[in-house]
Amino acid sequence: MRRLSAVAGRALPFLYAAIFIVAVWQLVVTINKPHPSLLPPPWAVAKGFYGLALSGELFLHAGVSLGRVGFAWLLSATIAIPLGLAMGRSRRLERVVDPVIELFRPISPLAWIPLAILWFGIGESGKIFIVFIGTFFPTLLSTVAGVKSIDPVIIHAGQVLGCNDPASMFRRVVFPAALPSIVVGLRIAFGTGWAAIIAAELVAARSGLGYLIANGMEILRADQVLVGMIVIGVLGVCFDAFFRFLNRQFSWEA
Amino acid sequence: METNHMGSTAGKPISIERVMKIYQSRSGPAVEALRQFDLEIAAGEFVVVVGPSGCGKSTLLYMLAGFSKPTQGSLRVAGDPVTGPDIDRGMVFQSYALFPWLSVIGNVEFGLERKGVPRAERRPLAMKYLKMVDLQDFADKHVSELSGGMKQRTAIARAFATEPSIIFMDEPFGALDALTRRFLQQELLRIWKQHQKTIVFITHSVPEAIFLADRIVVMTARPGRIKREIRVDLPHPREITSDAFRDLERRIYSELDEELSKTINQEGRPAAV
Repeated sequence: MRRLSAVAGRALPFLYAAIFIVAVWQLVVTINKPHPSLLPPPWAVAKGFYGLALSGELFLHAGVSLGRVGFAWLLSATIAIPLGLAMGRSRRLERVVDPVIELFRPISPLAWIPLAILWFGIGESGKIFIVFIGTFFPTLLSTVAGVKSIDPVIIHAGQVLGCNDPASMFRRVVFPAALPSIVVGLRIAFGTGWAAIIAAELVAARSGLGYLIANGMEILRADQVLVGMIVIGVLGVCFDAFFRFLNRQFSWEA
Repeated sequence: METNHMGSTAGKPISIERVMKIYQSRSGPAVEALRQFDLEIAAGEFVVVVGPSGCGKSTLLYMLAGFSKPTQGSLRVAGDPVTGPDIDRGMVFQSYALFPWLSVIGNVEFGLERKGVPRAERRPLAMKYLKMVDLQDFADKHVSELSGGMKQRTAIARAFATEPSIIFMDEPFGALDALTRRFLQQELLRIWKQHQKTIVFITHSVPEAIFLADRIVVMTARPGRIKREIRVDLPHPREITSDAFRDLERRIYSELDEELSKTINQEGRPAAV
């Protein structure tokens, strides 16, 4: 019961924010009377949402976008986490890999979209590639930072308790010690991946929430654009909340 | 090999011969931490090393544990050279160094698992060592729920559970309040007598050294050498207020004061380091 009210306590500010936004939106519509194809009133968007939900189209697009992000995010994690663990422990490896990463990191994943289209066309691999770029660096950097912040006595304790080979040291000490930081990285990565997939789908896709928005623009259906945007926002908040919950499960203080 | 009633192996002797350690810092001159250090420690002996800060006591302990290598000289345990950390040489750290992702008993089981103790035997064995430090009711608690004293008792249980022949203790009670400290000193003596491990214990506290040690090694200021070895023959439990205790305390303080004044003079001189 207390847990439930705590969840409600955190959700309530979002509800207030939603009410405020809808109120301002309705006010703008009432005063300015814009053409509905430019800014439809809230109820029209609600109706659009209902229609898209009823036809299943909305879930299809949301599912496709989530699937792409989820796949690319997992793929990047399986490479970034081991690499980050190794880089955090080996100064030599870090010195070699770090400059490469520093050069690539400032390039937004969106800047890769043209190349992705050239290389992969508008199939799935291009979008996976974009999200991969967007999720790889946050995961890697958080993992490296997590490993480097491990108190050396924890490593020493592992050594005198029988972790003499690198494999057992990584598995039994370094990885669990760095896990809180890794989970933070995964959360940030999911956020950047979610932003990147929408952008990639805007440009080159036949499905996904980004496509839903781009398509709405083409057929002059601002309500469809707004439905897409709202779903992106709400899903983003939900996943962030889920990862914050995970963060709390994996944050140990000594 | 001798075994005691807890079924663990007895301590092993340590031999330190002409050990020298020089740290080459990336900027500035090399630092000589230890010079010509010779020490023989008998199996099952409780040796306490005291000295001014920066005298290289921790350096010595870290080399004995196998975390770093001496620049010159040799370190042997029961005749075998120390080549790296080993589960046969346990360690208790000032900052506890417990694994915060594991429960109290999980920390104690960690070394047992690494040692290859079968899963079914780990928990009862770990429980036995938690009982030894009177923490059996806290087995499934999270490490963060423990007080400092309880954390260090967990760390002691963890170190003894793998039944090492030697245990190094790096200022283990330095972060604890005076009462907890006194209590844990008594506990440690009791456990040591029961298990007959060789213990090398580092401290800043002279009373602590006298209370615990078979032998006290007083070190010089950097570069660390042995200034004096003092055998403590007082019977246990040692009474801090007794005359013999006080006399010994006074002797060791005067040795240390000499060294401290050297360090302070060194620091006072510009460009000496």
